[in-house]
Amino acid sequence: MNPTPARTMVRSPFVLFVGVILTWFIAAFLVWPNANVLIETFFPDGRFSGRAAEKLLSSERAMKSLGNSFLLAAALSVTVNVVGIFIVLVTHYFRIRGARILFLGYATTFIYGGIVLAAGYKFIYGDKGIVTALLSDAFPGMDRNWFSGFLAVLVVMTFATTTNHMLFVANALKGVDHQTIEAAKNMGASTWTILRRIVLPMLKPTLFAVTILSFLTGLGALSAPQVLGGREFQTITPMILTFTNSPTSRDLAALLAVILGVATILMLTVMTRMERGGTNFSVSKVSSALEKQKITHPVGNALVHVAAYVLFAIYTLPVALIVIYSFADSAAIQTGQISLDSLTVDNYIRVLTQSSALRPFVVSIVYSAVAAAIAVGGLLFVARLLQKHRNWLTAVFEYLLHIPWILPSALLALGLIISYDHPNPLVGGAVLTGTTVILLIAFVTVKIPFTLRMLKASFASVNSSLEEAGAIMGAGTLYIFRRILLPLVLPTAAAIAALNFNSMLDDYDTAIFLAHPLVQPLGLVIKANTDGAEGAEGVSNTFVYTVLLMIITGLTMYLVYGRARRRDASTAPRNGAPKDAAPKDTVLSKS
Amino acid sequence: MIRLENIEVTFGNFTAIPQLNLEVERGEFFTLLGPSGCGKTTALRTLAGFIDPAAGEVFIDGKAVTRLPSDKRQVGMVFQNYALFPSMTVWENIAFGLRVRKEKPAASDRLVRDIAQRVDLSASQLRKNVAELSGGQQQRVAVARALVLQPKILLLDEPLSNLDAKLRHQLRQQLKELQSEFGITTVYVTHDQDEALAMSDRIAVFNKGVVEQVGTPQTIYDASATEFVCTFIGDSSVLTSDFVSELNRHSDGTLAPGANSYLRVEKASLTPPAGNTDAVPVRGVVVSRSYHGLHSRYTVRCHGSELRLLVKEDGGVHPVPGAEATVYVRPVHVLQYDPQTGEAVGNPALAASRP
Repeated sequence: MNPTPARTMVRSPFVLFVGVILTWFIAAFLVWPNANVLIETFFPDGRFSGRAAEKLLSSERAMKSLGNSFLLAAALSVTVNVVGIFIVLVTHYFRIRGARILFLGYATTFIYGGIVLAAGYKFIYGDKGIVTALLSDAFPGMDRNWFSGFLAVLVVMTFATTTNHMLFVANALKGVDHQTIEAAKNMGASTWTILRRIVLPMLKPTLFAVTILSFLTGLGALSAPQVLGGREFQTITPMILTFTNSPTSRDLAALLAVILGVATILMLTVMTRMERGGTNFSVSKVSSALEKQKITHPVGNALVHVAAYVLFAIYTLPVALIVIYSFADSAAIQTGQISLDSLTVDNYIRVLTQSSALRPFVVSIVYSAVAAAIAVGGLLFVARLLQKHRNWLTAVFEYLLHIPWILPSALLALGLIISYDHPNPLVGGAVLTGTTVILLIAFVTVKIPFTLRMLKASFASVNSSLEEAGAIMGAGTLYIFRRILLPLVLPTAAAIAALNFNSMLDDYDTAIFLAHPLVQPLGLVIKANTDGAEGAEGVSNTFVYTVLLMIITGLTMYLVYGRARRRDASTAPRNGAPKDAAPKDTVLSKS
Repeated sequence: MIRLENIEVTFGNFTAIPQLNLEVERGEFFTLLGPSGCGKTTALRTLAGFIDPAAGEVFIDGKAVTRLPSDKRQVGMVFQNYALFPSMTVWENIAFGLRVRKEKPAASDRLVRDIAQRVDLSASQLRKNVAELSGGQQQRVAVARALVLQPKILLLDEPLSNLDAKLRHQLRQQLKELQSEFGITTVYVTHDQDEALAMSDRIAVFNKGVVEQVGTPQTIYDASATEFVCTFIGDSSVLTSDFVSELNRHSDGTLAPGANSYLRVEKASLTPPAGNTDAVPVRGVVVSRSYHGLHSRYTVRCHGSELRLLVKEDGGVHPVPGAEATVYVRPVHVLQYDPQTGEAVGNPALAASRP
């Protein structure tokens, strides 16, 4: 597509209309709130002040949380890689018995994550957990609080975030040319040598990217430290949350958010550099598909099998227990003792009929659906505009729309709170903090970068002759958009909307900052239940929520990914979200 | 040097190669030729040790290697896409096998530089990343990487297939030169008959997992043992039995009118061939002529056959379409095959070259 000069571009009424709305949205919700955080931190009274920094340095709790976050981030980058690479290899590289079953087990993190997963682990391994109850029957003297603190957080987050490896490393592995492996074998290289010297080096760029993402996930972690960290292990984001809630320490919250933001931007810059630098994928034009490698060493083979199945158990046990206990009565949940006749569908009936139990579920569904529709619907026009016109103006717009991609959601949320807790002319003098609208705005904002990239790619994949053919026959801009482009892009748009819907359904990180006190989405209720707020009934409600969420997510995933995979031979899946998805999108939605 | 004995290869229910017998001599450039899916690559990979045959034995240098892994067979291989390791430099690629063998670094370096020089790779190219090399240079790296381990046999799996036509011609030459310089026994797989004819000492023509003929390029071309070989290689016209009877009438009558008969396009001419008295003149009408600069292609209908022939543009006879013409054909050039079995008939020399 030829570059259109900015001046020519704005002559079109369609462009002008979209442009004005876009400019307002970007100014009001992307630029101003975040700039406001900086102002609040460093220029609280219009003059530069280092008070926030002094407060931070003198607050032992805040400093400790900073240290904890970086410790968690560093540890997580190691553990996630170890587990992640291992599960990718056993499911995609080595010939392992039952690899398909293993894959399904490891893929459970696709259908639940974030607060739901943290809650699940707590209900099972926590002080009142099912497994803990069983264990303390066997070992009466044991510490019931054994599963908390740094190690618990690290373990849970490790197993929760291997999703990126399953998506991106596995995909990169498929790009390895099997002929290179045969060539190495032909020259006498062993299984281990081939892995170390041929395969892993080829995965290096991808591994680097997922390592950075793991680091960022650790740095910005909220739900896992909150639920499982206990008193002694708190990290930055929970601190930001605590400080935000009291007006006197808001500057401290802002400073922490800024630190988090700067660290995130730095890491992402490094990652983008690396991505641009060296991808050393296959130099060949015709490469042959990877075939699974047999581990020839019998002992090594046995050890890998054992490790693979132990991991499988770790991954699937929470899911299996949640599903089983979602049918159990509260007595069974408290004691951990379960028998066939204690399994009923009562919990489901209660959740689906009792309005207080159903309410958070409905709130989440409505929020997610509306936000997904707004994000995709609005960006359809924007993406089209950015894809068609290439000039400095659209480039600036595109960069600005990526602000939510480079900033942690805690910072975004904090920005919205402090910008709109008083009448603001940008939104017609309204106060947004404390209303139901502000969470919706945050949801839409957070989903912009992912949606925009996917839609742009989708528009780009449409053959431009179609459009030209329409124009030659006299169709106008809007008519072409509506009759020719939209039908082609719609399947992708639907897929993106579904993925967005999924990721917001169990959102906790944004909602905890912004939700209306009376309109609480699911994530918050689940979190409250982990604190024992609603007693045994709350726990069994959470199990039911989790199962329902898993079903919804699993179904969406199947519709989006599963069907795309079957059409793999055609070009269709390139339009579909999965393949072009950048690592960060998935990660941030589940941290 | 290489002997494949009663090799059978199956993939699940599919039998790729039912029964294969082949023998390759020391120092020979031996080509496996056939259309895609004919089993030639399967045969090569069986030889390389990447495929376990369901039955049969592979012998290299008199030793059975059927159960040996690839790296114990002393075969070097150049893959279709060269399979260069993208994460390593040229030097590291070539030295890979030596490092695996735990060769001393100094010795490795000497061997790598030595082989690089022989395949015309400069010292500065050795430091480059493989992605920075041209297709031709990549091929030389792949050859060097295979040869540095001093294999007994070099296997080449369509190494020219992903290059453009011009480069392919050039590299074909280089590859052949390298082979004769090193004198290494080479098995080459291709679907390009031109390549096979120009490079090989001997060719085995594959069809549906079966070797149809083994022979020198000239034998394969001029004395195709089966109808498949005849039609797969070169360009020929189908002769009607009427046409064949006409030839018989004007010669000693050795051709079989009932057989499927073919004549290579370059074997018919519009002028009587000098010095050959057995050429039979056949009358016909010119159907079409297409001009190609170097030559023209004619189609002449005579006795029911659409005879195609090449006429050199040297200022000789050039009838226009619609005109009458006389085509000269030597009966010995007619290739005849049994309609049932597809095997050559009437020419015992042809049948002899069938394996």
